[in-house]
Amino acid sequence: MSFKQIGAELKSTRRSALLKKFQGAFSERPIEPIEVEPSTLRRWTRRDVLLFGAGALATLAVGGSQLPRKLLNKALRLDDDVSTVLYSQHHLVPTYTKSQITPLKNNYNGPTPDPAYIPGWRLTLDGLSSGLAVSLDIEALLARHRIHDQITRLVCVEGWSAIAWWSGLRFDDLLHAYPPVSQAKWAYIESSVNLDANGNPDPYFVSIDLLTAQHPQTLLATHLNGKPLTVEHGAPLRLLVPVKLGLKNIKAITRITYTKDEPPDYWAKRGYSSYDGI
Amino acid sequence: MSSGRPSCGETMPTGARASKPRALVVRRHHLLVRISHWLTIPLLLGLILSGISIYWASPIYQHDPNPTTGSFDYFADAGIWICAHIPWLHHYADPANWVYNHGSLGPYMLAFALRFHWLCAYLLMLNGLVYLAGLCIGGGWRSLLPRLSDARGVLQMARYYLGLPYTILARRQPIHPNFRTKYNPLQRLAYFVVAVAGFLAVATGWAIHKPAQLSWLTAIFGGFDNARVWHFWLMGFFIVFVIPHVVLGVADGWDTLRSMITGWSTKFKRSEVSDHEL
Repeated sequence: MSFKQIGAELKSTRRSALLKKFQGAFSERPIEPIEVEPSTLRRWTRRDVLLFGAGALATLAVGGSQLPRKLLNKALRLDDDVSTVLYSQHHLVPTYTKSQITPLKNNYNGPTPDPAYIPGWRLTLDGLSSGLAVSLDIEALLARHRIHDQITRLVCVEGWSAIAWWSGLRFDDLLHAYPPVSQAKWAYIESSVNLDANGNPDPYFVSIDLLTAQHPQTLLATHLNGKPLTVEHGAPLRLLVPVKLGLKNIKAITRITYTKDEPPDYWAKRGYSSYDGI
Repeated sequence: MSSGRPSCGETMPTGARASKPRALVVRRHHLLVRISHWLTIPLLLGLILSGISIYWASPIYQHDPNPTTGSFDYFADAGIWICAHIPWLHHYADPANWVYNHGSLGPYMLAFALRFHWLCAYLLMLNGLVYLAGLCIGGGWRSLLPRLSDARGVLQMARYYLGLPYTILARRQPIHPNFRTKYNPLQRLAYFVVAVAGFLAVATGWAIHKPAQLSWLTAIFGGFDNARVWHFWLMGFFIVFVIPHVVLGVADGWDTLRSMITGWSTKFKRSEVSDHEL
């Protein structure tokens, strides 16, 4: 056997040793029996486990049905905090092509309002740095601001979603044109034309944090799929905020008030999250 | 007491050891693995029950409304069918919601179900980390890794289980394939896949929960609607896993069940381990 051969053999054994070591790291270790007191074996009898299991089941049933509201609220707040951390003003939501547009259903919780409100509709802005309230009609809004188009997905808390083509002015542009008071962190957005299940007036309102309002894809939408909004979709002006659940996308906005403290929210009062970031 | 047997206590070589009785066991499951194993039961149950309540709000699988019942949801159809065919349910008040009344937290519970789902989901993620920590500290992960050479063993085990009813009916002695590892190849595959499914359930959950901020994750699962389908069928997989898991765990005997409570097993000869548990 030449030295060369010996060298090659050594190399291959070294390689296979390395391979074995690598495989060994993943392979099962032999199990070594350990000595215990024989009494240990008797400690856990079947009866003990059955009793223990019955107790655990009873605790589960009672605990599950009597789960403290506080704990559930805490989970909801934790989830809102996670959503807040995940939110980025620079992260744009995916946009779609016109061929991907899907039908959008009217999900007004009560009956759709009578369109009679539309001709006399005005938007009131409050909580401005000027200290004055401003009242605008739709022509004024459309004439003074650039209109942006976007095809984005509206995601409902119920689980359905729809891709639609929206046009409108950026909320951020309105914030620049009519700046809120300097300490403002929230927008309280209201629709006075909303109706409850019985058809009685039931103003709808949402809270929107200003960081979300400033997102480039947060629109005050005036058009859906290239046509002016119909009454079913919140004519003449609705919020389109694709980084929030659909329930924050308030239709037929009549008033925006900027506030320092978090304002109330229609669905948060009914047990849903108040942040609703998606 | 003297019997007919000659006394030979002094000459018995094991005399010294006989005075100190001992029992041999092997460590099977790390404490953290055992804790997370049992905590999975209430958490998974809570997630399934609240998940079906959430599903009720907007079922993935819908059809055109049935002209007579008005139902568009297959779960509602199932409820109507059950109430029509089970004699004592003929007068059930709300057949369309029978499945939701019996297999979820209930219909019309979306806000509550969402909070409940978030609470269980965050705890399940924590539980998953505890499980992984237990596997790493105890070294148990090595026994769970499927091997390339497992394919034959998986088929052998599947054939054994599928043939078991016939073997029993034919009054033959079932011959269990022997494996010299902690788990048999089918077990290894099942436990590994269920852990991966747990990871995927969490990932698809986040994809549905944050389709805007985690849009990259939603895209991995083929978009928002497909992520919901994944999430739904992963639940189905857990239900399918649990049935044989419980049946075989009980059938395998007391030692197997006890080992998930105490951590040790008295089966330490290679021929004794990896029996029919799954």
